[in-house]
Amino acid sequence: MGYSSILDWIIFKDVMDNAFYPFASYNLPFDISYKLWEIIGGLIAWLVNLLLPGNGLSTWLISDEVSNVFALVIFMIVIFAIAFVVTLISLWMERKVLGRLMDRRGTMIGLKGFLQCVADGLKTFMKENVIPRKVDKTTYMWTAALIIGTSVLIACMIPLSPRWFVVNYGTGLLIIMALFALAPFFILVSGWAQNNKYSLIGGMRAAELMISYEVPMLIMIATTCLLAGSFNINDIINAQFDTVWFIVPQIIGFITFIFCATAEAERVPFDIAEAEAELVEGWQTEYAGMKWGLIMLADYMRGYVSCAMVVIMYLGGWLIPFASADMNGWIPEIVFLLKVWLIFFIMILLRGALARVRTDQIVNIGWKVFMPLSVLNLAVVLVLKLGGVF
Amino acid sequence: MAWSKYKTEYIDSDRSPAGSLWVMKPLWKVFRFFCKTVVHRPVTILYPYEKMWMPENYRGRPGLRFDRCVACGMCAKMCPTACIKLVETEDASGQKVMRPQINLGRCAMCGYCAEYCPLDAMTVTPEFELAEYTREDLIYGPKRLAYEGATEKMEIHLEQTLMSDIKNGNSERRISPFKIDRPVLDAAKCISCKKCEKVCPVKAVKMVEHGVNEKGRPILYPEFNNDACICCENCVEDCPKDALRINEVL
Repeated sequence: MGYSSILDWIIFKDVMDNAFYPFASYNLPFDISYKLWEIIGGLIAWLVNLLLPGNGLSTWLISDEVSNVFALVIFMIVIFAIAFVVTLISLWMERKVLGRLMDRRGTMIGLKGFLQCVADGLKTFMKENVIPRKVDKTTYMWTAALIIGTSVLIACMIPLSPRWFVVNYGTGLLIIMALFALAPFFILVSGWAQNNKYSLIGGMRAAELMISYEVPMLIMIATTCLLAGSFNINDIINAQFDTVWFIVPQIIGFITFIFCATAEAERVPFDIAEAEAELVEGWQTEYAGMKWGLIMLADYMRGYVSCAMVVIMYLGGWLIPFASADMNGWIPEIVFLLKVWLIFFIMILLRGALARVRTDQIVNIGWKVFMPLSVLNLAVVLVLKLGGVF
Repeated sequence: MAWSKYKTEYIDSDRSPAGSLWVMKPLWKVFRFFCKTVVHRPVTILYPYEKMWMPENYRGRPGLRFDRCVACGMCAKMCPTACIKLVETEDASGQKVMRPQINLGRCAMCGYCAEYCPLDAMTVTPEFELAEYTREDLIYGPKRLAYEGATEKMEIHLEQTLMSDIKNGNSERRISPFKIDRPVLDAAKCISCKKCEKVCPVKAVKMVEHGVNEKGRPILYPEFNNDACICCENCVEDCPKDALRINEVL
């Protein structure tokens, strides 16, 4: 067996022809990662074949099954990298916009200040991994891992378009909400485990915050799903394409949901669990170095998910206003992200404009304002639905 | 809860839940401010690369015009932190003269030396970056105190409205009014020691003979050239018998 060209090993096969293709419909990031693996795996297979002609490893590396497995690994990295970059851009935007709100410049390091995020990441990465002696070490580490893990998981689960998703599951919004609502429990446990009064108060406050905004939020999610007739994110957005964006019938719900989403992401004015002016750093007080850096990243990922939920439920997801189905197919991911950043901009304005609420005020607002408003929203939608408008 | 109690406790007071939801006003204000700052750029100045505009009479370090100075010592007298000292140095023609030296480590940048300098030889300068490696480097000698490009605006003049002026119905602001004050002699106390003639920096004092005393020695009284006098009060201070005093002209 003589010399074989590299082109015999790198064959750009159509991803849909793969017998073990894991998704029901076309998936763009998987296609990208599949092609990436075809290049990497084909190169390795060709090199191995040059050294040991006719071995089994080369053909094994580029077979359908193995390509699929490695493509899935790369797929995870791609999905996470996109969520990560989106979060970094949100972070950069917050610093710049907040700077302008205070008539200062914001970050100034490289690329209009964008590289400051990278510098901060490197700095926290270099820090010593300090663990206080009197914390419950197992719980301390596990809760941090779970908070970061659930946040990153939901950030990765947000679909950017009908072709950019991880799983196209029937219970879309419910799963995201369930994982979203897990974090306050871990925060409570983590606050207890840190053996620090500030952390404990922060954890208690996180639980208190959750009981005040979670119920109206779930009512509003149920309202949207009622209007769309499905929990699937794709179906919700298709329903908005068929009728109008849900912000029109649910304007009350939209405004209320923005505040609830701000509370969900624990951002100012609802950041009473962190409250760096009263509690030192709230429930994050005892976390140092990269643990704190990752928790901060997870915070912003939750902010991104909150904005994405607002966009999916009320602003038509990846739809361009008044555009045909044809036009919507061009750059749905970019449209979606632009809308997400628009909502994030509103959240930054909220942060710049409002003072932090007190712990008694948040319960007051949650049960006496958000709750009736969400029920009113539900009533409006019910009337519209029964009247046959939708 | 009864409605009236609810009304007094929540709706009429600041604790109204509806009131705490009313957030559009601060949001709108913040958004308008954001639009403004995006257009006009932030006020922050990137200091080492960009410099702020300085007015000419900015109170930076003092600067000296070597040729105008007559070593009257007014600056050393006025300095509130006592950082000015007259030291001996050489002028352009090689003569020994006295000129002020300033320890900028003590200088408070108040600009009094420039305000009170009768000949405006001392000026303020817009120079404020004065970091040095040692304390000794902070002592600026007369030559080092010179500042290139000292303009007229850097001379600081005292402006004052005098009480006597207001009384006479004339409330204009006078520039450095004390410069027209002049020393006068109480002749009965004078012992003809000629000290005032020696200390005068502008040679405005001349000893004139007024006859002889009972021992046959000449009696000398100082006479002041009022045009040349700069009212530095050196003669008044150094007079051993307090025979001189400053007469306030206005």
